[in-house]
Amino acid sequence: MRQLAPKYSAWSLLRARWAGNGYWRPLWTGAKLRDAYDIVVVGAGGHGLATAYHLARDHGVKRIAVLEKRLLGYGNVGRNTTIVRSNYLLPQNHYFYENSLRRWETLSRDLNYNVMYSPRGVIDLAHSDGDMVALARRGNAMRVAGIDAELLDTRGLARFAPELDPHLVRRFPVVGALLQRRGGTVRHDAVAWGYARAAAALGVDIIEDCEVIGVRSAAGVATGVETSRGYVKAERIVFAVAGHSGAIGAMLDVQMPIETHLLQAMVTEPVKPLISSVFVYVYPHGEVYLTQSDRGGVVMGGFLDGFPSYTREGQWFRLEDVVQSAVALLPQLASLRVLRHWAGTNDMSMDGSFIIDRIRYDNVFINGGWCYGGFKAIPASGAACATLVATGTAPDLIRHHTLARFQTGRLLDERGAGPFPARQ
Amino acid sequence: MNRLYCPFCGARELEEFRFHKTLAEPGANAFEEVYARTNRLAVSLEHWQHVDGCRAWLLVRRNPSDGTVLDVRLVAAGDMPLTHESQHESA
Repeated sequence: MRQLAPKYSAWSLLRARWAGNGYWRPLWTGAKLRDAYDIVVVGAGGHGLATAYHLARDHGVKRIAVLEKRLLGYGNVGRNTTIVRSNYLLPQNHYFYENSLRRWETLSRDLNYNVMYSPRGVIDLAHSDGDMVALARRGNAMRVAGIDAELLDTRGLARFAPELDPHLVRRFPVVGALLQRRGGTVRHDAVAWGYARAAAALGVDIIEDCEVIGVRSAAGVATGVETSRGYVKAERIVFAVAGHSGAIGAMLDVQMPIETHLLQAMVTEPVKPLISSVFVYVYPHGEVYLTQSDRGGVVMGGFLDGFPSYTREGQWFRLEDVVQSAVALLPQLASLRVLRHWAGTNDMSMDGSFIIDRIRYDNVFINGGWCYGGFKAIPASGAACATLVATGTAPDLIRHHTLARFQTGRLLDERGAGPFPARQ
Repeated sequence: MNRLYCPFCGARELEEFRFHKTLAEPGANAFEEVYARTNRLAVSLEHWQHVDGCRAWLLVRRNPSDGTVLDVRLVAAGDMPLTHESQHESA
């Protein structure tokens, strides 16, 4: 029996204090790859781990493996800007993301692991009357669905976020905002670690450094996966490798409605508390969303780099764009230095919405197409995907997010950008 | 991949160019043409435009896995039906 971390509580802290650091155990390591599993989940990121956790917890599946090409959390769960929100316009999207946001609120308790959910408010800024109308429309759609949304004028904005001067002269002035108070941030690595620990405690085998290179099938049914560590039999296979779903399509010989684009994020040196909430500042030729991490660094992100790539090497001009937009919004950031910047590969789907569905075989599933909105979706995605995989029927929450929607024309085009993933 | 070679202007910063679309497989139907991507990891054939330069349309062969540009040439007449949007939209 593997020795895993105990249940965390005030009592466990006291015992650890008394017993010394030897009391702490690894959270998930030590599993051995077996020959056969009921369900193989490919990808130990947020979605893969959450799916495995819910399969074990909600559906009682016993033999589950999560196979990871590199290290747990190496991909986008460790590369995002940690923002969670549910301020979407389309009902199919805002019901899903609202379900996710509700799960974020209780996730630390559910996992017995502090994921540091911080509902500090997400502020979408408007820079024109047209913008205000669009934000009001989005806010109204949310309120009809019972999701909190408040339209702020400049006075309300100044009251909620005094660090932002709405009257400063800007090329794209700030005239108002849509505020979602329950939106905020979550510590991204803790999400991966928390799900991994909870899944491992339920008997899920988490195998790192094990790349899936092919799917074997017989009589139109997938029978297992070829991995870098040999063949593994599986009743059902789930791919949760967003950022590389295109590569899975190539592996399964399926054309996907997905292009892979890079999205960058960057963080400044840590400073004392300066930014109280999450700001999103989008205008025709640029974009920045920024927040301050608990450590004090200002975390920023912006547009995609703009062309398909798997390199995880961000373009310099985009970094410049983002930093310039951030300084235009909050001039007090000008003296900060960027410490690190990085890029993640994003599954950009043709309508900007995600896909959780069967792919090619009846017993193979794909959880992908998350565009740049995958992190906030993790809790709902894991639960809904697990239900689909365990019962064979998509729950209402994801029943519109099929692969077939691109053929039937029932697109979920949140931005109305058309089939140009680079502009979603 | 920080620069792209424009047949008219020479090597220019990538920022001047705009990626338009990965080309569909030959013989693709209308649906595949618009929505389906093969996602070849080794070679990808794409339309780009030198929007902040000579505005030429380019056919770029690239490896999206490591960013190497294999080949750039001008789009020849008949290569691509320009959409209304792509003709009129600026960068």
